[in-house]
Amino acid sequence: MTRSLQRIWPIATNTVREAIRHRLLYTLLFFAVTMIGVAVLIASLSYVEGERIIQDIGLASIRLFSVGIAIFVGIGLIHGEVDRRTIYTILAKPVTRAEFLLGKFVGLLLTVWLQLLLMGLAFVGVSLLVGAPLDLGYAAALFLVGIELMVIVAVATLFSSFSTPMLSAFFTLGIYALGHLSRNLYFLGQEADVENVRRAATFLYRVLPDLETFNVSIQAVHGLPIPATEVGWAVLYGLAYTTALLSLAIYIFHRRDLE
Amino acid sequence: MTDSPPEIVRVDDLVKDFRPGLGLRSKRVLHGVSFAVREGEIFGFVGPNGAGKTTTLKVLMGLIRPTSGRASILGCDVGEAGFRQHIGFLPENPYFYPFLTGREILRFYARLCGVESSLLAERVNDLLALVRLEHASDARLSTYSKGMLQRVGIAQALIHDPEVAFLDEPMSGLDPIGRKDIRDIILRLKAAGKTVFMNTHILSDVEMICDRVAIIVNGRIRYEGPIREFLREDELRSDIVLARLPSETSTELGERFSATLQTVGETIEVQVREGQVQGFLEAALGAGAEILSVTPNRVSLEHIFLEAVEEGERADARADRGGEGTS
Repeated sequence: MTRSLQRIWPIATNTVREAIRHRLLYTLLFFAVTMIGVAVLIASLSYVEGERIIQDIGLASIRLFSVGIAIFVGIGLIHGEVDRRTIYTILAKPVTRAEFLLGKFVGLLLTVWLQLLLMGLAFVGVSLLVGAPLDLGYAAALFLVGIELMVIVAVATLFSSFSTPMLSAFFTLGIYALGHLSRNLYFLGQEADVENVRRAATFLYRVLPDLETFNVSIQAVHGLPIPATEVGWAVLYGLAYTTALLSLAIYIFHRRDLE
Repeated sequence: MTDSPPEIVRVDDLVKDFRPGLGLRSKRVLHGVSFAVREGEIFGFVGPNGAGKTTTLKVLMGLIRPTSGRASILGCDVGEAGFRQHIGFLPENPYFYPFLTGREILRFYARLCGVESSLLAERVNDLLALVRLEHASDARLSTYSKGMLQRVGIAQALIHDPEVAFLDEPMSGLDPIGRKDIRDIILRLKAAGKTVFMNTHILSDVEMICDRVAIIVNGRIRYEGPIREFLREDELRSDIVLARLPSETSTELGERFSATLQTVGETIEVQVREGQVQGFLEAALGAGAEILSVTPNRVSLEHIFLEAVEEGERADARADRGGEGTS
């Protein structure tokens, strides 16, 4: 186990180092911070609840851009290594394919969490500047964005383990969109008269991630309570779903010919 | 009876099919490849482009799975990862993370191999010195030339002091000095008791440093054995130029000494195997011929290699025709 970690960690830190050299990453980060700032301008156009509008737009921007960053970097995560053949020298060392994949996953996750931290700091800065209230609800909201990002990074890693960046982007975006709709699809399906439709809706809900589990932005912005059990459940769900995705990614990647 | 050294690499009846795309017929790249590499030798895996050298090496490195057959290194199946602590691999035209420096990339590989922190800096410095890259060790790899990247490739393959080094076209992209440096490194590895497996198409290097070779053509092994035996078959010939040799004698001498004779104006040019030169000259002088010149002519490995390739291609064509006839 310790030996495995000793091999996973250099791959992870190297992935972080590679990711933070992407210029587009800084562009996305710049736009995210700008959007948080622009929220002040938009709020000034409203007569009521200016601070809430600022924080609502701020949190939405953080979610949107951090997912964008995760997908942008994640889609080429494994494919790039195979395409450039950098993977050959790594797998010829005593590194298993599972360790390599986990190293890349951890590296990307650390990168998006670092970006999230920076955006979170910008959010706090703007909130303090306009005198908007800040409480633990916002911390919980940002924390759960981090857990959602973990799932998205695992999705991107899974698709990157066997398909091209273009297809990975398409699939990951699709899963992201469906993941936010899966709960509604489930409830809609249960209203149907046909048994098979109800079953299909249940099946889809079981297979697709329920990303709304990680969305407590509305409660945070409106000062509603966020129970610790809800956060705990979301964390457990995120960890379980990520583990399942990574297990599948490892299985596929292990069987793949690296031509 | 002398014991031959233990086998370090064993490949048995390896077959690999590639499917070019969905719905397309698969293409067989390796047709039952078998060979063995023994401890302490420099083994040359030689073949023309597309013969299956790199595919075989990828199977050995566990990068691709064989369709059938078995390959093992140090007694372990190549699908396992444990034995890789004892092997080093230089891929063809290696590519490394361009954002790292030479020193950083070697540190990265050393950490993957579990080189102890206390030894890491010293080991990296030793390898940088070995491949003569100390001067560029702190420059980004994106600024390195192809030859410098090849040297980094050699250094990373040896960073953990492996027992066996697998080198895919190690001289590729190097200038004559670089090639000599790499040859020296390979010979130094052999002197240290290491085993070297080398994919190459540069025959002069094979001739100079390899102990044994396997020649692969169109995915089939055409020869495996000591390089000296391979060369010995018709290694040395001599070109003899004669004058005044009666035509009936020339035919008789040609048959007797398996020599090729060609009349060029007033002279006859003869090519005869080294062991037959003395006898041929005595017989020709006895028949009244005048010897104008005798030139020892070593048939190059390249010549023999090309013959082996052509013979392999002829054999494949015959096999294909046979296959068509029976289907």
